[in-house]
Amino acid sequence: MLDAAILAVLVTMVLALVRAFQGPSVYDRILAANLFGTKTVLLIALGGYALQWHSFLDIALLYALVNFVGTIAVMRFFEYGSDTEEADNGGAR
Amino acid sequence: MVLLAFLVLIALAAIRMRDLFIVVMLFSVYSLMTAALFMDLDAVDVAFTEAAVGAGVTGVLMLSTLRLTGRWERRPSHGPLLPLIVVGITGAALIYGTLDAPLLGDPAAPVQQHVAPRYIEQGPVEVGMPNMVTAVLASYRGFDTFGETFVIFTAGIAVLLLLGIQEGPETRPGRTAIGDQLVLRVVVKMVIPLILLYALYVQFHGDFGAGGGFQAGVILATAFVLYDLVFGEGDARLVVPPSWLHRLGALGVLLYGAVGLYALFAGKPFLDYSALAHDPVHGQHLGVLLVELGVGITVFSIVLAIFYALSGRRKAS
Repeated sequence: MLDAAILAVLVTMVLALVRAFQGPSVYDRILAANLFGTKTVLLIALGGYALQWHSFLDIALLYALVNFVGTIAVMRFFEYGSDTEEADNGGAR
Repeated sequence: MVLLAFLVLIALAAIRMRDLFIVVMLFSVYSLMTAALFMDLDAVDVAFTEAAVGAGVTGVLMLSTLRLTGRWERRPSHGPLLPLIVVGITGAALIYGTLDAPLLGDPAAPVQQHVAPRYIEQGPVEVGMPNMVTAVLASYRGFDTFGETFVIFTAGIAVLLLLGIQEGPETRPGRTAIGDQLVLRVVVKMVIPLILLYALYVQFHGDFGAGGGFQAGVILATAFVLYDLVFGEGDARLVVPPSWLHRLGALGVLLYGAVGLYALFAGKPFLDYSALAHDPVHGQHLGVLLVELGVGITVFSIVLAIFYALSGRRKAS
């Protein structure tokens, strides 16, 4: 059961990574990165329980916190966002 | 293995991108991945630091820098062939060097033979701390940690010399659209006390579990960065004025040095904490607590000073 959950989280992480690499718009990538962070929290919580790491919940807590602050910073960046004129032809090349 | 494959993929993607903003996002993912890898290697304290510094504050600082420098990377004027050859040869040499190194976790490796057994066997008796990492970092290797604290302090001073903390006309409280979001304001107001509490927990629980001064300082600074991001730059500066920060940074280093000097004047070697109390183990506890506090104060003030220095500037246009 736990293994299945970990596997599911890993698959979701791969999907989020694919979206972060391809993502046609910037917002897809932000959401993908955010999702990836959330999945990392879950992975650590699950993996820590399964593999008996010590104090894994501390780390998971810190991740959740850091992810939140990071997202706020990104939003703030786009609020200032001055150079969006190139936003359409950018991305993966 | 899966984690390492993720890392390689993310690094390759980050190289190909010209949009530096996306590179920052990818790097924060990379950092989270690295920290998960450290968790897997059972290095909880390292994972802690990586998560707090690499994934959290570095991303925010890089975004602040991008805001000043512009978002798009220029095409390089030279071809990729020569750098590729140089990197290839260096990488091959490094891999060749690792062929001789012992395998990870090999009990016969020199790392496990030299001082590690003494730390593991004597540490709980001499220092009396459940968390061996803190015992080694703050007590046995106190001198090295003193050096690290100085490095952080010097880096902060250098940034302040180069950029300085400016009080632009736009650093007025409550002038951001993001600050108008009611849900965000309420959530942030509720979260910040928890972050502060968590930072204090990490600071003072470092003797027993993962954590310590470095991580706690960064987490504490993160709380103020969050406040600054949501409520505008003026308000956070009212709580912790920029003019205090370099003094606080110096205070942390001085606290660390003073503990060492006290031991020196008490007739013991520099940074020998057993001079602090009659009972050597008690002295060790007190010394590690003070030293970690100094580290925490320095890291907190330097990180916040760098953030102020970057966020206070406006793009020259």
